Amino acid sequence: MKKHPRFLSLFLFIGVFIFVIVPFVPLILTSLSFGWRWPDVVPQAWSLRAWEYVMNDGRTWQAVGISLWIALIVTTINIILAVPAANAMMRYPVRGRWLFEAIIFAPIIIPPFISVMGIHLTFLRLGLTETVFGVVLAHIAPTLPYMFRAVMISYQTLSTDWEDQARMLGAGAMPRFFHVVLPHLLPGIVAGASLSVLISLSQYLITFIIGAGQVVTLPILLFPFISGGDPGIASAYSLLYAAIAILALIVMDAALKRYYQMNKAAQNQAKGVKP
Amino acid sequence: MWRKSKPYLLLLPATAAIILLFFGGIFDGLLKSFGYFPAIGQTELNLAAYDRLLSSEAFWESLTLTLRVAALSSLLSAIIGALVAIALFFLNDAMKTTSPKAWHRLFQLPLTIPHLVAGYIIVLLFMQSGFVSRILAAIGWIDDIADFPVLVNDPFGWGIIFTYAWKEAPFVALMLYPVLSRIHGSWREVSRVFGAGNWQFIREVVMPVMMPAWTVATFIVFVFTFSAFEVPYLLGVTYPSVLPVYSYQLYTSGTLADRPEALAVNMILAAITILLGLVAYYFSKRWNVLKGWG
Repeated sequence: MKKHPRFLSLFLFIGVFIFVIVPFVPLILTSLSFGWRWPDVVPQAWSLRAWEYVMNDGRTWQAVGISLWIALIVTTINIILAVPAANAMMRYPVRGRWLFEAIIFAPIIIPPFISVMGIHLTFLRLGLTETVFGVVLAHIAPTLPYMFRAVMISYQTLSTDWEDQARMLGAGAMPRFFHVVLPHLLPGIVAGASLSVLISLSQYLITFIIGAGQVVTLPILLFPFISGGDPGIASAYSLLYAAIAILALIVMDAALKRYYQMNKAAQNQAKGVKP
Repeated sequence: MWRKSKPYLLLLPATAAIILLFFGGIFDGLLKSFGYFPAIGQTELNLAAYDRLLSSEAFWESLTLTLRVAALSSLLSAIIGALVAIALFFLNDAMKTTSPKAWHRLFQLPLTIPHLVAGYIIVLLFMQSGFVSRILAAIGWIDDIADFPVLVNDPFGWGIIFTYAWKEAPFVALMLYPVLSRIHGSWREVSRVFGAGNWQFIREVVMPVMMPAWTVATFIVFVFTFSAFEVPYLLGVTYPSVLPVYSYQLYTSGTLADRPEALAVNMILAAITILLGLVAYYFSKRWNVLKGWG
């Protein structure tokens, strides 16, 4: 019985390793190989050709910039829309609550490309196709429900007593929101923002329909390579794309931690504790 | 007056955004699926597109493929996800250290990888000259590229199924783990007192606790894989294609006459997903998924 954990732990280690890590091996090897022939498990010749192509091509960094820019605008709009809505949902008696929930959560169930294909000709008439703004509008529906849900969960644990206390101490609506409510919501907002950025970054079809090939985000740039293009360049682009998605998450997480540290330091100083 | 309408005013921007941008698009598509194209002078509504669609063989083959791929993907993700969640649970129970958290983190990595990249990873692994085929050749199981089965861009959809299993198994595990972690250590001891082994403990205690969350997680994966576009577009074949890809093919075929049909496919897809979503919602409410037991 005592031997069990170690055996299980080893088993799990091998299983997770094969399942999660090994699939990346051919991706990395292909991006670094030169004419990797079939029966060779490891390439015979190595080359940085694919990475040089990807790093030196101006389109790469333009695509990275546009992808992150769209994700940032979409997420900002989502925060502005979701915070008041979540506030109303959690703290007021709302009649027809289920209807509001059904409307806002609908894009999780119904695939957004259905709506985008339907609205395409209308966007064309309004001159919104081929523009970053049009793509931003198309990205809002698939991302907003996740932000809304995350902020709603944050509101669940925020008692109105805190705001009442601040009100009694003479704080107006704005200071109450920025010093009492917002710090409490921040972890939820960051969680929602992470999902919002991740989903915005991974949209291919709706960006392609509305952007019409003129708004080149990373997935748009990547697709011709992975569907029958140069495998080396396709692998390098795939790794870069995955790295940017993961990096965006890590940066947001780190920013939140940094905010808490700074806040704590400021509070300690106010209390006279030496840092 | 202000107090009463305040929550509705707070809800207005978000609700209006979704109604305009999302439901507006669906409604727009619905009208056009009925042949409403004022731009080319068609303002009469008819069911011609649905008629043509429901009597075409391509649509039914597409529907069958979509159902098969979604069912197998969600089943495979559910099995792998549950195995990992149970293994993590026992590990946590036995060691009482923080190391399973690291496992958990690592296992979640596929969740953050974009779908197109995950699809390409499967291409490089499972194409006939791919990594798995090379390893099998190295250990002498196959002698020729042609000996390796066609698993990518195949008519059955294996490549799509593998990609979803890789991406969604961590999601299932993530949904199950919090439920499992609510099983108290003392229950294990009680089960031992009554003479239950590990296997019996899993069957009699862990499985029933896990079941509601497991079913709902599997269902969510099913609904998602049923209506997702990117992975089958990359890893499927031109014919038969899954419904979202079929719709896209019709939409971009070049003739305006196919567009109502494409939008009709979309409306059928939307109707099916709404139905599935309602079923999932009903069961998740009834079973109290987050608690694990009712």
